[in-house]
Amino acid sequence: MSGSVSPLAALRLVYGLILRQLVTRGRLIALLLVGVVVGGVAAAVGSSDSVDDPLEAAVRVIADLGFITLVPVVALVFASAALGDARDDGTLVYLWLRPMDRWPVVVGAWLAAVTVSLPLTIVPLGIAALLVDGGGTLVSATVIASVVGVLAYSALFVLFGLLFRNSIVWGLGYVLVWEGIVAAFGDFAAKLAIRGYTRSIITSRTGVDLDLGDLSFGVAVVVPLVAAAAALVVASFRLRRMEVA
Amino acid sequence: MSGSGTEARIFDRGYRRFEGQRSGVVGAVRSVAWHTTRSILGLGRKGRHKVFPVAVVVIAFVPAIAFLALAVLIGDLLEGELRPDYWEFFGFSLVPALLFSALVAPEAIVRDRGDGMFPLYMSSPLTRPTYLAAKVIAVFGTMAIAVLGPPVLWLLGYTFQSLGPDSVPDWLGVMGRIVVAGLVICAVYTAVSLGASSLTDRRAFASVAVILVLLGLSIAVNLLVEVGDLSDQLLLLDPLGLPLELAPRLFGSTGEGYESIDTWAVVAGCLGWIAAGAGAVVFRYRKLAAV
Amino acid sequence: MTMTNCWPVPAPVAPPMIEITNVTKSFGDVVAVSDVTFSVAAGVTALLGPNGAGKSTLFRVMCGLTPPTRGTVRVLGADARTDRAVRGRIGLAPQQDALFDRLSGRGFVEVAARTHGVADPQGAAREALGHVELDADDHTPVGSYSKGMRQRIKLAAALVNDPDVLILDEPLTGLDPVQRNRMIRLFHDLGDRGKCLLVSSHVLDEVARLGSNVLVIAQGRLAATGDYRAIRDLMDDRPHRIRITADDPRALAAALVARSLVDGLSVSATGLVVDTTDVAGFGRSIAVVARDLGVRLREVAPLDDDLESVFRYLVERR
Repeated sequence: MSGSVSPLAALRLVYGLILRQLVTRGRLIALLLVGVVVGGVAAAVGSSDSVDDPLEAAVRVIADLGFITLVPVVALVFASAALGDARDDGTLVYLWLRPMDRWPVVVGAWLAAVTVSLPLTIVPLGIAALLVDGGGTLVSATVIASVVGVLAYSALFVLFGLLFRNSIVWGLGYVLVWEGIVAAFGDFAAKLAIRGYTRSIITSRTGVDLDLGDLSFGVAVVVPLVAAAAALVVASFRLRRMEVA
Repeated sequence: MSGSGTEARIFDRGYRRFEGQRSGVVGAVRSVAWHTTRSILGLGRKGRHKVFPVAVVVIAFVPAIAFLALAVLIGDLLEGELRPDYWEFFGFSLVPALLFSALVAPEAIVRDRGDGMFPLYMSSPLTRPTYLAAKVIAVFGTMAIAVLGPPVLWLLGYTFQSLGPDSVPDWLGVMGRIVVAGLVICAVYTAVSLGASSLTDRRAFASVAVILVLLGLSIAVNLLVEVGDLSDQLLLLDPLGLPLELAPRLFGSTGEGYESIDTWAVVAGCLGWIAAGAGAVVFRYRKLAAV
Repeated sequence: MTMTNCWPVPAPVAPPMIEITNVTKSFGDVVAVSDVTFSVAAGVTALLGPNGAGKSTLFRVMCGLTPPTRGTVRVLGADARTDRAVRGRIGLAPQQDALFDRLSGRGFVEVAARTHGVADPQGAAREALGHVELDADDHTPVGSYSKGMRQRIKLAAALVNDPDVLILDEPLTGLDPVQRNRMIRLFHDLGDRGKCLLVSSHVLDEVARLGSNVLVIAQGRLAATGDYRAIRDLMDDRPHRIRITADDPRALAAALVARSLVDGLSVSATGLVVDTTDVAGFGRSIAVVARDLGVRLREVAPLDDDLESVFRYLVERR
């Protein structure tokens, strides 16, 4: 009675299922509040008369609040849960023991995480970029960097969800320790920090210097997307070979 | 009959009630605090449970060890940037303290709510206040390893290298200030992280909540003050940086950016954050069903 | 006769649908399943064992959820871990309770149908829910279901793709007696239609009602397989216990001992309980002995021919 499930059908099924599982009222409210705080700070800085360099101030607000805090945290909350929750509670078996390829499961889960994360980051950061009076260049740079950041972080944290039991803690370790400390000590470490690429997008578009932000626009957009694809490939291999509870 | 003179003994009658002395609430608090500490540090569990706690402790102690190594190698030549003030060491504790807060508090109190241990504890001599006291002891104690350990080690190392305070009273004064500052920092981080962890029943999200409250608020406040040039008094709303300001005040100095904030305001701010964190915990646990 | 784990099983009449050959599964230093070999054909087979015996691990190995450390697993001639097509012909109701909590019951079963590539997922879901007597039009999220309802949803999801092999891990847990009876009847119906059902349990009463074909597993090792009465007959190192009710038990007891028909016995006012290793000889002689003595026999009943006794002897060695 059953047949094989095509990759596209599998992707759509998993996407819809995981999307419904990810969107909970508590998560949405908490992360919307964070977005409101970001907007509030942006509005306060934007309306301040005693700022020496408004563009630099605007860039610092977006880069620090947006790309150190909001984007990685939002991506972490949803992407690590996309398959990580199913793995931890045993429901992954309902996606694994099926006549489907593994990669559509991974990509469907990633797309679900991205679908939830993008509005929760782009909208508050875009509004913040407007409120902080950074001009159209900063707004466009913010949107591009948010998209790139969410896509890359989400792929990485989907992989973490399949690799580690406590994937959120590992994700926090990556954001706080690797990106926050280790990346400052060497070029190689910096290349493995997604934060460097998002900051480079901002820097290259606005001309304002930021730590870790010395890559060209093209490199800063392409490399994280390639890394995201690589993370999804690794996650597919992992899903195929892992032991399912 | 042979053996009639031998005594007979029974060694095991099977199940019997315990008739010995019971340790009561104090013993219960001590047990819960110790068990929670073991759980936090991954003691008695597989190696992978120790990875994060060990990594955080290593990160905390690396600066102290590095400066001690410098003291051993070039001793008397240490000046300026290579010889930080005693209170500046607490700045190195920022990231490890943040990580510990994100790991320790959720592990300490969220797990019990999720796996049904809280009702079990409430059926023992423990009450909500004594249970929470045990948890506070565990979190505070483990936090102190990362916050207080490095500056104390550094002071001891410098003393052995004859680079420390000259007299015993001076030494005791420095140690006392380090300990007081460290304890206040631990108290604020403990209260805030426990308060944030009370907001959710999932450990992972509690970790995120702790980071958002501690780091997110700190970044927001510092942007408003440094970039937006708003009032420095806003720094009282920085739960991560404010307690660290107490350290230079105890040594008669002032941290960068805090020059216009009075010492009493710093103390009041720290107490305010402790009260806020404790209030969130009390509010959550008053409403929590023990079934 | 000595029990071994590599059990020489007579070839089943129908071709085997599950073949396990020298399978061992270790988790680090813990050996969960040790050198197990058996095959299962169409029909209902019960996997019986105490908690921690390795039943769930064996099921996970069969479904390909975890690879065996050693040995081979074939379900419908293929390895479910690598063969996509065979995964569509297996229905699994796992032991854990977790479901996709935000979906309704029908939603959960429909997702199961769609992910199996079922042609009419809504119709199949409705039919599967009908088998387990759940309302297909109930929109309540499964997160708020009772234990019994969650169990039935799992069964419905396992049935929805009309699989050839059904692996059910403690499927009757949480069901009330009426629901249990219905599920057992359903399992027998499916078995009669040529499906292979492997049902695990540690409740002897359930297993006895599922049928007489059992696999007994204990401490990761296969202790016995086959009809449990036949297993009992093979246990010739353990005397059979038989209760006899008669109007002169003492005289009967003396005669049985004198004729060496029993290994031991105990006598009461109304009857006696005997232990004998020669059940066939005893059965032929008891009526003759009683007749010769003029003793009236009221009852001759075996006391340890049931599944519980077989299980206890195999697992607990008592």
